[in-house]
Amino acid sequence: MHTDMSKTAEVPYAADAEISLSFDELQVLRTQYEKEVAQSHVTTQTKFNYAWGLVKSPIREHQAEGVQLLADLYRSEPTRRRECLYYLALGHYKMGNLAEAKSFNSRLLEREPTNLQALSLDALIDNAVKREGYIGMAIAGGAAALGTLLLAGLIRRASRK
Amino acid sequence: MPASSTGSSSGKSPMGIVPDDNLRTELASASPQPGFASTSRLDAVSRNLFAPFKHRKRDSHKILADLIMTPKMMAHAQTVSVRPRGIGTTSTRPTLDFATIGRTPLRLGLGARRTTSRELEVVETASEILATALPDALPDDEMGRPSLLRGFEATVPSADSARARRRATRNVDAPRLGLKRLSLGARGLMAEEAESEEDLVVVARERGHRGRKKRGRESLSANKVFGREELDRQTREIGRDKENLHVRRSLLHNDIAEITAKIEALDGIRTKLEEDLLKLQEDELELDDELLMVQERLELEGSRSGSVHSSFMASSRRRKGPAFLPSEHDELPPGIAFMTLECGSTPITALDFSEPYGTLITSSLEDAHPRVWDLLSGEEIGRLRGHTGTVKTLQVEAHICATGATDGTVRLWDLRRVDDDAESSEWDLSDVLEETEEEGDHTDSGNGDSPVEEQSRIRPNGTRLNRTPKEDTSGPCVRVLAGHSKAVTALYFENDTLVTGASDKTLRQWDLATGQCVMTMDILWAISHPSSTMSAGHLAGFPVAGTFAVPTPPYADGSWDLYQDFLGAVQSWEYALVSGSGDGAVRMWDMRTGQAHRTLLGHTGPVTCLQFDEIHVVSGSLDKSVRIWDLRTGGITETIKYDHGVTALQFDSRKVISAAGENGVKIYNRTSMQYSTLSTNGHIRPVEKVRYMDRYLLSGGRDAAVKIWAL
Repeated sequence: MHTDMSKTAEVPYAADAEISLSFDELQVLRTQYEKEVAQSHVTTQTKFNYAWGLVKSPIREHQAEGVQLLADLYRSEPTRRRECLYYLALGHYKMGNLAEAKSFNSRLLEREPTNLQALSLDALIDNAVKREGYIGMAIAGGAAALGTLLLAGLIRRASRK
Repeated sequence: MPASSTGSSSGKSPMGIVPDDNLRTELASASPQPGFASTSRLDAVSRNLFAPFKHRKRDSHKILADLIMTPKMMAHAQTVSVRPRGIGTTSTRPTLDFATIGRTPLRLGLGARRTTSRELEVVETASEILATALPDALPDDEMGRPSLLRGFEATVPSADSARARRRATRNVDAPRLGLKRLSLGARGLMAEEAESEEDLVVVARERGHRGRKKRGRESLSANKVFGREELDRQTREIGRDKENLHVRRSLLHNDIAEITAKIEALDGIRTKLEEDLLKLQEDELELDDELLMVQERLELEGSRSGSVHSSFMASSRRRKGPAFLPSEHDELPPGIAFMTLECGSTPITALDFSEPYGTLITSSLEDAHPRVWDLLSGEEIGRLRGHTGTVKTLQVEAHICATGATDGTVRLWDLRRVDDDAESSEWDLSDVLEETEEEGDHTDSGNGDSPVEEQSRIRPNGTRLNRTPKEDTSGPCVRVLAGHSKAVTALYFENDTLVTGASDKTLRQWDLATGQCVMTMDILWAISHPSSTMSAGHLAGFPVAGTFAVPTPPYADGSWDLYQDFLGAVQSWEYALVSGSGDGAVRMWDMRTGQAHRTLLGHTGPVTCLQFDEIHVVSGSLDKSVRIWDLRTGGITETIKYDHGVTALQFDSRKVISAAGENGVKIYNRTSMQYSTLSTNGHIRPVEKVRYMDRYLLSGGRDAAVKIWAL
């Protein structure tokens, strides 16, 4: 029945999250979602569509909103939790909350150690952590150097007097 | 990767690496307790940087060292634990490592943003979400449903783009036909002014027309060539679109199923709420009855006088409010017969009791002497001796009992004297003794020839003749009312008025103070002179003139009787009298005139039992139905159908309890219109008579047993 399953993987790779929707598309999703909210019956798919569109956007506010919606989905739909875990990890990763992303992803990997997308996301998160660690080291090193310089200047001044 | 950072951190530390346990304590003391969600990275960083200052145990010379040392030490500890070993601890503790420091400039300066509440909430709730358990996999359910992403791809607006593109490829560059203008013109609307285009069209067409004549008419698609690649692509796209449709269809199915389940759940809740509403209505009716009783007692206690006491109380048939029950009665499980009294061996024909746990009188088929029971102990106290035929009807009010038998007489008994009778058991037959008067005449009431003597003392018109002095021992029988020529089958008394119905098809009204028959009402006459107000229905085609005998419909156990009581039931109130007779009619009489002013027709079998209150008359008959009539209109408000003939009933505002030819006592709830049966520890043969007061129910059956139930 399904001819091309490789194109329609169950969950997207993280790269897909970097591709954002056009403003119009996002607007359509937003109106769809708000219409259903007005009817007070929001289907899971609409909510997910909107949340995913938001997460894909580069604006941080959108990403936060998307993650919020995904968290709602996680709470309300126990059957979809597995997928939501991945999306939450992806969303947090995009936002830069690497610790949360890591914990969500680890939760998922506990369940499915062979999930390709989850594994690749795991590697991405680790890389990001490492990268920030290097930056931090550089800053700390710079701060330490500055600190010793100041200290040396102070001691010299004190010893001169 | 973690190892390298450890190495670099150790290389940079000027003071060497502090041993591990010291590190751990620093770590533990410097960081807030686990479970406290970090608010922002900046806060976390600053908190940890300033943590040494808040610590009491720090020596001052160590503070500076800590200021420099702490980040690196923490990084060292952190890198050990950053590997995904334990999830909970790492996520909740504010991780202070180089990564955090690396992030702070981005947070603070470079981004030039403020952390919004949304972001904070997202981070905060992350830990809470993780706490929510992941359900153990439901593989069968999940496989059937498309993944979220698949649904996204199917429903996103761009999903249709392939179709639009294909449609675009099918757009043929045809010469402009001005279709829009045509359509507007067809609708009769003015088209926009585009004259120049029209001219162009006309000219072009002509030219084209001329040119094409030779080639003939071709279809639009003839000139279009797609090419193999394009066609393959279109095939694939169509395949994808079809899959998308599949996905959307399954999504909709799922949604519909979800909604249906929700609707069902809500429906269930609604029915439950409606049931609760009905219960409240029932409770309200019960409270109304209770109010009536309280008001009666108010009147009663307001005018305290001993002799007036009994006449003030309405007859038990009319009293509505709750009865006085021993406190243990509440503990009895409802719907279970908790006491059984064996009364002989023949079916019970009549029963009545004075009050719950008071005195019970039962009469059986082959037995002319009703038994007297004490309901508190469940034992037979004595018997009422006097009748010579089966007692078919009786009523008990406080200590007075009236019985009507097949010998055509009605006797009044004083139940307080039953003990006397038991003691002096040689006095088989009781005297006729006045209650209040004392007379001088002596007549000896001996043992054996008393019945003959009695009959001779009594004149047909039922006037009191005998006067015996008080000192003559007497049984409980107070008075004998004779007058009917055939069996007395129904009676009702209240205060000083007694009404009886007999198989001679007459109703008689008696004054109990004097013992005189005040009025005789002939039913045959009423039948042949029907009054003007008759409700819809028809008279049962039973032979009324001759002897009345109708076979009853079979009981639940298959047995049947020959029903010969023409007057099944009577009840009166002041001057109103209601009778139910064998022709199926319920007649309402005015005792001041002696005329039946209304006949309620509807039953198709003899009426065996009836009761009325201010609003309704309820009658049960051998046509297997109980009908509730409205007194004001004379119409039927309700018909309750049963499987067998109804032989006894009693009702109040909330329920109708009836004996309907089965082993169980039938209860019909008037507010919720539900049927229920009392059968636990119940009768083993069909129930014949029922009587209840408040929550205390007695039932007598063909198995010669009387069973007591707690309602």
